[in-house]
Amino acid sequence: MRKRNRVFGHTLTIYLRLLGVQLRSQLQYRFSFLLDLLATALIVLVEFASIALVFGRFGSIQGWSLGEVAFLYGMVEMGFGLMDLLFSGFDPPHFGQAVRRGTFDQLLLRPVNITTQVLGSALELRRLGRIAFGAAIFAYGLQHTAIVWTAAKVLYLPLVLAGMVFFFGGLFMIGATITFWTVDSIEVMNILTYGGSYVISYPMHIYQNWLRGFFTYLVPAIFLNYYPALYFLGRPDPLGYPGFAPFLAPVVGAGMLLLGRAAWRWGIRHYQSTGS
Amino acid sequence: MDVTMLRNRLSQTAAERVQVPAVRLFLALAGRSLQRHLTYRAAAVAGLVTNFFFGLVRIAVLLALYGQRQEVAGMDVAEVVTYSGLTQAIIAYISLFGWYGLTDTVYSGEVATDLLKPLNYYTFWLARDAGRAGAALLLRGVTLMVAYGLILEMRYPAGAGQWLAVAVAALLSWLIAFSWYYLINLSAFWTPYARGICRFGFVLAWLLSGFLMPLRFLPEWLVRLAYLTPFPHLVNTVVEIYLGLLQGPALIRALLFQGVWAAILIVAGQLLLKVAVKRLVILGG
Repeated sequence: MRKRNRVFGHTLTIYLRLLGVQLRSQLQYRFSFLLDLLATALIVLVEFASIALVFGRFGSIQGWSLGEVAFLYGMVEMGFGLMDLLFSGFDPPHFGQAVRRGTFDQLLLRPVNITTQVLGSALELRRLGRIAFGAAIFAYGLQHTAIVWTAAKVLYLPLVLAGMVFFFGGLFMIGATITFWTVDSIEVMNILTYGGSYVISYPMHIYQNWLRGFFTYLVPAIFLNYYPALYFLGRPDPLGYPGFAPFLAPVVGAGMLLLGRAAWRWGIRHYQSTGS
Repeated sequence: MDVTMLRNRLSQTAAERVQVPAVRLFLALAGRSLQRHLTYRAAAVAGLVTNFFFGLVRIAVLLALYGQRQEVAGMDVAEVVTYSGLTQAIIAYISLFGWYGLTDTVYSGEVATDLLKPLNYYTFWLARDAGRAGAALLLRGVTLMVAYGLILEMRYPAGAGQWLAVAVAALLSWLIAFSWYYLINLSAFWTPYARGICRFGFVLAWLLSGFLMPLRFLPEWLVRLAYLTPFPHLVNTVVEIYLGLLQGPALIRALLFQGVWAAILIVAGQLLLKVAVKRLVILGG
């Protein structure tokens, strides 16, 4: 047991040191970093503004106010942004490049856990801009909704965020594993990751059945944000799922991460390199 | 050696040898580029699937906003569906999500040989982008519109005159878009961090072009602000002409505005390049 703890401690030290390297290298060019940070934040701001600005004309989106949409939207920007920051190394286009160039093979030769190395191989700090503006949108949502806060809700909120980080992180791992064979990232994964995060930024009862069904049964993203939001906002469930549905977020997230880990481990065992 | 000097000397000797009209060079470059981009059909299909999917979700959101309303700000349901399809179809054609081709060559040094070519630097890039845009229009634009047309109720231009106007507007839209990207890409001559600067230029275009939402849905002050920039002529003008929302004098005026903006951006690009080239230092090796 003690030995295992020591190994874990060692791995953690290496992970933190790798992140430190990323941090230093990206902060080397301060101006560049600042611009990238602002541009990334601006993307979030502009996209949300486009919704907010037309809301005046429409009043609501099938019964949901702008504040309630901001709650959903802000949660996704924070959750997905955090995931994008932590799992940058597994981002399929980025990882595919490592497979293509053979730099991934170098990592395999090092006597350190491969997952740790990939996680530490990139840390897209500019995502902090996205997270910060996501938090601002979320704060706007809180101001314009009358959430009755209870201890349970306060404790559950971070778990919902963790659910999203795990869920999309798991999808990133699956996407990265696929590049072992396709070399390039496959576009279908974008539909699940970026498409999924886009779909769950809106109250999901607005979608047609096929679309909602896809993100309920095939990729259960509906439980990550929409159902928790129903619970936080104290709204009745228009779809009639069991009462525990709002509390599935961490379970669904952890499940996807485990699936991603299993795929990744299987992929590593069968990886044959591109020879470049 | 100073790049301008080298260029002058080389172009003189080149001029003595052969006189190839710029138009022929342009067409040859555009043709090659078109061929090259038509080769990546699998990538185009993959991109198509994503564009198609996002379009459907955007339509769902817009229709949910419409709710029971039949018409909002002069756009009915079929028109707003067509708007969504068109905006998705135009993404690849005018590289709405970003183009950093020129900045990459500045950092790799290729820019030196490109500047020596016996063709105006802007025209050289325009030709290459013409091929890319043509391929994108065929593989991703038209296919996407056909796919949406098969499953959704959409509007189409009425008659040859309107189709012609759409074609002219789409051509000018590409010219404006490219000239704008060229302009912001030139920032690479000044800074090693052009990507961040360029990203600003793209994000602004998303909102002000009417790509994220039809401009008529936005508050009036913002629309007025948008029309002080070239951006509405990237997407909104094309869409409104396609839907027949601009007719007669309004249509002519819109096309004229597009032409003027294209001219302004092209001239600005030529002037900026003159300053930029003076700053360029190419390292040997």
